[in-house]
Amino acid sequence: MKISGSYFLPLPPEQAYQRLQDPAVLAGAMPGCESLEKIGEDEYRMKMKMAMASLSGNFDGKVRITQQNPPNSFKLMVEGSGKIGFMKGEGDLNFTPKDAGTDVSYEGDVQVGGTIAAVGQRLIDGTAKMMIKRFFDKVAA
Amino acid sequence: MATTTITKTEKLVGKRIRRREDPRLITGTATYVDDIKMPGMLYAAILRSPHAAAKIRSIDISKAKALKGVHAVFVGEDTKNAGAVPCGASLPGLRVPHHNLLAIDRVYLVGHPVAVVVATDRYVARDGAELIEVDYEPEAAVADPEKALAPGAHAVHPQWADNVAFTFHQEGGDVAKAFAEADVIVKQRIVSQRLIPNSMETRGVVADWHAADRSMNLFTSTQAPHLVRSLVAQILGLEENRFRVVAPEVGGGFGAKIQTYAEEILLAWISMKLQKPVKWIESRRENFLCTIHGRGHVDFYEIAAKRDGTITGIKLKIIQDLGAYFTVLTPAIPTLSVLMMPGLYRTPNIQADIVGAFTNCTPTDAYRGAGRPEATHGIERMVDMVAAELKMDPAEIRLKNFVRNEEFPFPTATGLVYDSGDYSAPLKKAMEMAGYDQLRKEQVEARKQGKLMGIGLCAYGEICAFGPSPATPAGGWESATVKIEPSGQVTVLTGISPHGQGEETTFAQITGDELGVGIDDVLVLHGDTSLVPYGIGTFGSRSTAVGGTALYYALQDLKAKVKKFGAMLLESEDVTLANGQCTDNKTGKSVGFKEIAAAAYRAMKLPPNTEPGLLATHFWEPPNFTFPFGAHLVVTDVDRDTGNVSIRRYIAIDDCGNILNPLIVDGQVHGGVAQGIGQALWEQAVYDDNGQLVTGEFMDYTMPRAHMMPWIESGHTVTPTPVNPLGVKGVGEAGTIGASPAVVNSVVDALSPLGVKHLDMPLTPEKLWKLISAGSNA
Amino acid sequence: MIPQQFEYSAPKTLDEALGLLAEGAKPLAGGMSLIPMMKLRLASPEHLVDLGRIKDLNYIREEGGAIHIGATATHQDVLSSPLLRGKCPLLAETAAHIGDVQVRNMGTIGGSVAHADPSADYPAALQALEAKIVLKGAKSERTVSAEDFFVDTFTTALEPGEIVREVIVPIDGDGTGTNYQKVLQPASGFAIVGVAVRVRKQGEKVTLARIGVTGLSNRAFRAKEAEKALEGRSGSPAEIQAVAALVGQGIDANSDLHASAEYRLHLTAVYAAKALATALGRIA
Ligand SMILES: Cc1cc2nc3c(=O)[nH]c(=O)nc-3n(C[C@H](O)[C@H](O)[C@H](O)COP(=O)(O)OP(=O)(O)OC[C@H]3O[C@@H](n4cnc5c(N)ncnc54)[C@H](O)[C@@H]3O)c2cc1C
Repeated sequence: MKISGSYFLPLPPEQAYQRLQDPAVLAGAMPGCESLEKIGEDEYRMKMKMAMASLSGNFDGKVRITQQNPPNSFKLMVEGSGKIGFMKGEGDLNFTPKDAGTDVSYEGDVQVGGTIAAVGQRLIDGTAKMMIKRFFDKVAA
Repeated sequence: MATTTITKTEKLVGKRIRRREDPRLITGTATYVDDIKMPGMLYAAILRSPHAAAKIRSIDISKAKALKGVHAVFVGEDTKNAGAVPCGASLPGLRVPHHNLLAIDRVYLVGHPVAVVVATDRYVARDGAELIEVDYEPEAAVADPEKALAPGAHAVHPQWADNVAFTFHQEGGDVAKAFAEADVIVKQRIVSQRLIPNSMETRGVVADWHAADRSMNLFTSTQAPHLVRSLVAQILGLEENRFRVVAPEVGGGFGAKIQTYAEEILLAWISMKLQKPVKWIESRRENFLCTIHGRGHVDFYEIAAKRDGTITGIKLKIIQDLGAYFTVLTPAIPTLSVLMMPGLYRTPNIQADIVGAFTNCTPTDAYRGAGRPEATHGIERMVDMVAAELKMDPAEIRLKNFVRNEEFPFPTATGLVYDSGDYSAPLKKAMEMAGYDQLRKEQVEARKQGKLMGIGLCAYGEICAFGPSPATPAGGWESATVKIEPSGQVTVLTGISPHGQGEETTFAQITGDELGVGIDDVLVLHGDTSLVPYGIGTFGSRSTAVGGTALYYALQDLKAKVKKFGAMLLESEDVTLANGQCTDNKTGKSVGFKEIAAAAYRAMKLPPNTEPGLLATHFWEPPNFTFPFGAHLVVTDVDRDTGNVSIRRYIAIDDCGNILNPLIVDGQVHGGVAQGIGQALWEQAVYDDNGQLVTGEFMDYTMPRAHMMPWIESGHTVTPTPVNPLGVKGVGEAGTIGASPAVVNSVVDALSPLGVKHLDMPLTPEKLWKLISAGSNA
Repeated sequence: MIPQQFEYSAPKTLDEALGLLAEGAKPLAGGMSLIPMMKLRLASPEHLVDLGRIKDLNYIREEGGAIHIGATATHQDVLSSPLLRGKCPLLAETAAHIGDVQVRNMGTIGGSVAHADPSADYPAALQALEAKIVLKGAKSERTVSAEDFFVDTFTTALEPGEIVREVIVPIDGDGTGTNYQKVLQPASGFAIVGVAVRVRKQGEKVTLARIGVTGLSNRAFRAKEAEKALEGRSGSPAEIQAVAALVGQGIDANSDLHASAEYRLHLTAVYAAKALATALGRIA
């Protein structure tokens, strides 16, 4: 599934760029993130607990940052798998100065597999949007 | 209900008699596989791949094994020598992938079985399966047959880079000439989408091995118990006479239970390993993923026609989505489409090519109609397109091209011989019931007001009563045994395996009429290989035409013997068997059926050259297929604002030869039409680019419901077949075959003022709305 | 159903239930949303507290000029309640659109509201009715408006340990007309879009317009621009069309297998027009 959108962060691009790569910020902002542990250059192991509606599940995954082009763009990859299925998201983040802050636009692809893919069709779009919004809300906070 | 007096008051065949199997079904007292319980029985749960294509790096079963209540965990390596899932179809050059019971090294589709956990109850088994840790290395997958055939596509099976399982070519007549001399050539790509059969009961297996006497009892929800027995016994190296397969009550199959599945072999193998009975019941989610799918055609049609509407040639290229593996009939299904590609038309020149493509999807196989709905959909759409091109009425072009009554038996360009027919009769009857001319006038008026009203026709033909043995993978004959018990009650044992078709009723009707006993005096048994003679099973609308005929002939033998005993008791030479008694044609004296039966078993005295007892068995080999036909007419209205299709009238005229029980025929037509409308309007198995089945539950896969069905006005014409003495052709699949083209033709007709010539199924409101809004803007 | 193991309690009093919920248990009402998830093991609650035995949660009664509906009133209770049919017909009409008979016999208003499925039917009506939702925890009770309650996809104002105790809907006097229109997704029966309309007229003028929308986006919402555009007008066919076109305006519409965002927005306008026309036509 393709996703795209943008979010305004009240920070100059350099800071926005940094914040979005700061493991502490990521750990706090990724919905359900329970731990984020560095395993390589710009690569982290993540444990997530997803809880939404009555659905809940633990995911083991990775976060990777590539194609760094500060402060303009980078690529963020998040993947996780657990008993209820797996998900993988990959997106390009672009930073454009706007007013006194930065417009962060994203464009990417979300893949979902396993049981969640089969039963959640009606909800995947809405859920992805919600998670992204929550993520940015926390980054901005 | 059952009485001790044998009575007979009325002719049974031809009557609307209620199904005798229904009381136990509607009171919830039928026994399905999941109702079977055995002391010490264990339960199996299967862990399945969430990926469509992946290497298996490792499997860690230690946690599952350690779980309290888990008896055993098996993975692919363990079952490596237990055999493979069989494919019964053979085609020249066919590439048959080895279909392991459990994945070894790689998985090829979502739902691919990876490990099985056997435990004291099904909850622990499931918990155990969740504790297995599989390390997958996912790969790109391919879930679309056309993409699979494109250069550079992911190879489903690494050894076959082009994803081609087979190609097939057939020609008849002179196609090149027909196209060279055509006045018009009409081309269209037509998709018959993937469908999920969804029987009400999912699959299920109980395997019960007895080492001491080397015997296996396998209870399985199948349409073909003897075929399962032969295949599983052979695969596991067991003795067939000690291998009993029982199909208890089977809650629907629609073709998806003809196959011998991995779980049947696996459970038998596990029961032998653990020396315990083991049960596995498929979940609905597994059913969506792991029981076969149907259709999955992309067809490329070209039709050559003369200006007067004579169809002179058909070219067809089929791309068949086979899925990752084969089940029993997978590659054979599209060849049935080729056989039926001329439909009911005389067209002497045909050319067909099939490319069978592997995809990382569930295998396709026989689903109600199996190959014929695709063929009928294609030709019936194309005939409409030719009519539109020539500005002819769609009824007129059909009537012009039908095989004529005097031409039967009619040899087709595809090598079949159509048995009998009056092809224009159902179409004319449907048009008469609909008031066709009036409807067309109404349509003209409706269009003036901007309304989208459509009238769709379909004239379908099908190939049924599978079939002559040389043309059927496992033999196409059928068997029946009839016993008259000493009490006079009659037991019929049939080799077919009904699971909703109502043969417990129709076979009792045939028996009652032949022996002159009442319907309640007859019991029809089936589905237990230790009880009934070897049989082929129930599929391909064959049960009554082939199994009923075997029964008919067994009854002739038995009738002769009963009459011998009757004549002996009456001291007569000329007797009639009717109305529960045997009557001397000269004196009018009679002896009751009961007394005759008793005498045959008591055997105080025997007729000359006659042995005691009353039992007869007959195996019948059909000389040809049968070819039922019919016509559907559908009136639709399409809402401009939303694209919603509403079916205003649905007329279904069927000619299935002689009708044994009109109630059951109507029921079969109604159910079939529901499935055909389902394909036309709603159903589709959708995979995403990564091979995930995204319509993997009823939340997203639109099964038609009762309230979505139109009122079906059904009617019949009767053209008996000369192929069997009952004159019956088969009706199990007719409704499905006729429905999808009739509905689509109707909706295309509705949208034709917008320039729409063709629509692929399903006709979702959004698809239509987009065309309507684009059209009205234009 | 083969769920993971769980504990099950069926307390008879609300206090007992709230005590268990405070310890982290999860409420079970009709089970029409929760059980399917458990069956697929997408949800694996450790402890379920069945609210079904608590008499004090199952009622529909008039009190202080409004109608109070206890959390465990089933959809069937709502659609067949003479009180609601007479004094708040919009809610009864909406309940009739939910699922099928079995679902309506089991599913509850509290469960539906707490679940906050973005395509559920009630939330549209509750928005149009400006309903209030009473939330109760072991030590607290608070009342929030429907507007504040539905936060996002499957997300509500409920705090851990709190339950929906009741839903309060207003009694509208004469001069009010309502209607709920739903386009259903044929597989699940949920709304692709659903529009609930409540309008009041004095003479020829619309004095109040409330439009609740479900299925279109991440949560049920009130189409306030459209409401404003109708108030003060007569509700002529042309006005209805214009108002209906505003209902989905500016909304980030959902898109799925069954309906793209574009089609959803289009259907919103079409069905909003139908709901507006019907509601206006019903004004006594
Ligand atoms: C086949 C089918 C079709 C359906 N179609 C529709 C439809 O067309 N429209 C529609 O709106 N809905 C539909 N539904 C959903 C149905 O309306 C459910 O009844 C409703 O969503 C949940 O109510 P419930 O009582 O069954 O709750 P449950 O399933 O028991 O619970 C749902 C969730 O709410 C929580 N919960 C329950 N009660 C409370 C409470 N009082 N306080 C706090 N939390 C609580 C539970 O812990 C759980 O997380 C359908 C369901 C099915 C199975």
